[in-house]
Amino acid sequence: MKKMFFCAAVVAATPLASETERQLGAHQHGIGALNIAIEETAVLMELRAPGADIVGFEHPAKSEEHRAAIDAAVATLAQPLSLFVVPDAAGCSVTRASAMLETEEGDLDHDGHDHEDHADHDGHAHDDHAHEDHAHEDHAGHEAHDGKQGHTEFHAEYMLSCADPQALTEVAFAYFDSFANARMLEVQIVSASGAQAFEVSKEAPLLDLRSLY
Amino acid sequence: MMLRLAVASLMARALTVGMAVLAIALSVALFLGVEKVRTGAKASFADTISGTDLIVGARSGSVQLLLYSVFRIGNATNNVTWESYLDIAARPEVEWIVPVSLGDSHRQFRVMGTNSAFFEHYKYRQGRSLELAQGAQLGDLFDAVIGADVAATLNYGIGDPIIVSHGIASFVEHEDQPFRVSGILAKTGTPVDRTVIVSLEAIEAIHVDWQGGAQVPGQTTPAETLRQMDLTPTAVTAALVGVQSPLQTFALQRAINSYPKEPLLAILPGLALQELWGIVGIAETALLAVSCMVVVTALIGMMAIIFSSLNERRREMAIFRAMGARPRTIVGMLVLEAMLMAAVGALLGLALLYAALFVAQPVVDSAFGLWLPIEAPTLRDVYVVLAVVGAGAIVSLVPATRAYRMSLADGMMVRT
Repeated sequence: MKKMFFCAAVVAATPLASETERQLGAHQHGIGALNIAIEETAVLMELRAPGADIVGFEHPAKSEEHRAAIDAAVATLAQPLSLFVVPDAAGCSVTRASAMLETEEGDLDHDGHDHEDHADHDGHAHDDHAHEDHAHEDHAGHEAHDGKQGHTEFHAEYMLSCADPQALTEVAFAYFDSFANARMLEVQIVSASGAQAFEVSKEAPLLDLRSLY
Repeated sequence: MMLRLAVASLMARALTVGMAVLAIALSVALFLGVEKVRTGAKASFADTISGTDLIVGARSGSVQLLLYSVFRIGNATNNVTWESYLDIAARPEVEWIVPVSLGDSHRQFRVMGTNSAFFEHYKYRQGRSLELAQGAQLGDLFDAVIGADVAATLNYGIGDPIIVSHGIASFVEHEDQPFRVSGILAKTGTPVDRTVIVSLEAIEAIHVDWQGGAQVPGQTTPAETLRQMDLTPTAVTAALVGVQSPLQTFALQRAINSYPKEPLLAILPGLALQELWGIVGIAETALLAVSCMVVVTALIGMMAIIFSSLNERRREMAIFRAMGARPRTIVGMLVLEAMLMAAVGALLGLALLYAALFVAQPVVDSAFGLWLPIEAPTLRDVYVVLAVVGAGAIVSLVPATRAYRMSLADGMMVRT
């Protein structure tokens, strides 16, 4: 896989088991997506980033080295507050975090790299299995797809609980320091005041959220 | 003293100065007007839909879906089957869902099929609900609720009949099934004002005797029979969705976007609007740049007038010098004159803008559905006026420097 950033959108997830239809999503190297939803003290974050951004390759892990890289990436992705640094005043803590690698390559990679609920290692509360179910549903679709060379995406989902969400005035994206190949994150935020989109780039890794309040 | 002199000097050359001031006034009015239209358009669009978390339609582009389903602008999107609509409606994340069916028209106005939930959940301008100015909501199958502009333009009252045309080019009319105006909505400043709202079932009903886009000749199902029929729609154009909790917005959006049975698209209206502004932003910048250049041109015109006045004022300058005015005073006076011209021009421009807004507001509203608010000048407007005065001062430094040099020489040499 060439390290081509911003290369045109080609292939990604969502092959289908049931119908004869074929659908593909967008996939741009260097650009990931971060969705943030805020409701009172609950903050939900969903990160989707191309494999090329996170580990630099999108083919199935063939060597030990690749496996180690993926494992390390998933472990890093499971630490949301060190990737997306929020002000201390907000008093945020992680209640749930999960990260995994999704691929079109069938179930080959899944068992090895699906680090579901990784955050449990940190001793955080773990009271919601809904996400786990959802993840498996997704996988069912992929397994039915027979392997062509496809793109892989890292998916992470975080549930934060913030004592004072009003203090969430900015987010510093240490994400770009952790993953050198990542260039940009398209951030979408839904809160009581409506929806807003931002672009956060490696060059300007600070997201100002004061316009939300 | 100097101010009095400057004013008197300007008054003495009232015609040429007046021209320069007028040019500055027009350019400032244009510059501020562009900004007013820009912010007015944005506010108008942003106020049109509020409280709707997702808009669901056939897979297209987010901007296209938003423009067509909410603003009735641009290309029609594909329809969504009723089965898919019911599937989405049944999802646990969905708090409410309102179907929207477009395609028919009445005169120049769009006809929208929906259900009573529309009146409950459609919100505009930070959560305001639709209100009926007269009459009642949809009751009977052939009831229609019309927007304020529809009522005003076509002079309709409660109980008037409405014949819906098939499609938007009124070649064929659903003459066999006339509607009756049951309610007139209060003015909202949104596209709803220009919409005829009927029930989804009525849209089905008027197409019962139609096949392949034309009426089957001689076949007219009586209204009474239609009322008994099962008029479950087969398709809708789009659906407005409210989610139970903002936390579920993205999950629902993803579920709809990857719905396996039909290619659907769910968009967040606010984000789609932001995307639209991103696209038109380039044109906006170009427009602002052009109007900015017009201001610069006017200021350069003023500079030219000051330059040409220098010649005819040589004697005047010499007298000032002879009476003990220092060269710096001469410069100061010229700059002061320029600043006065720029200030009067800018303020006149502001006044012109408000006069124009006052005249244009109703016209623009009815022609484009764009409500340009007449508000007190913003801080930005004040900055623009100050910037024009400042720029006038800077521009006048060029002729002033020349006068500074000339007044030295002129003061010492006696010429006729």
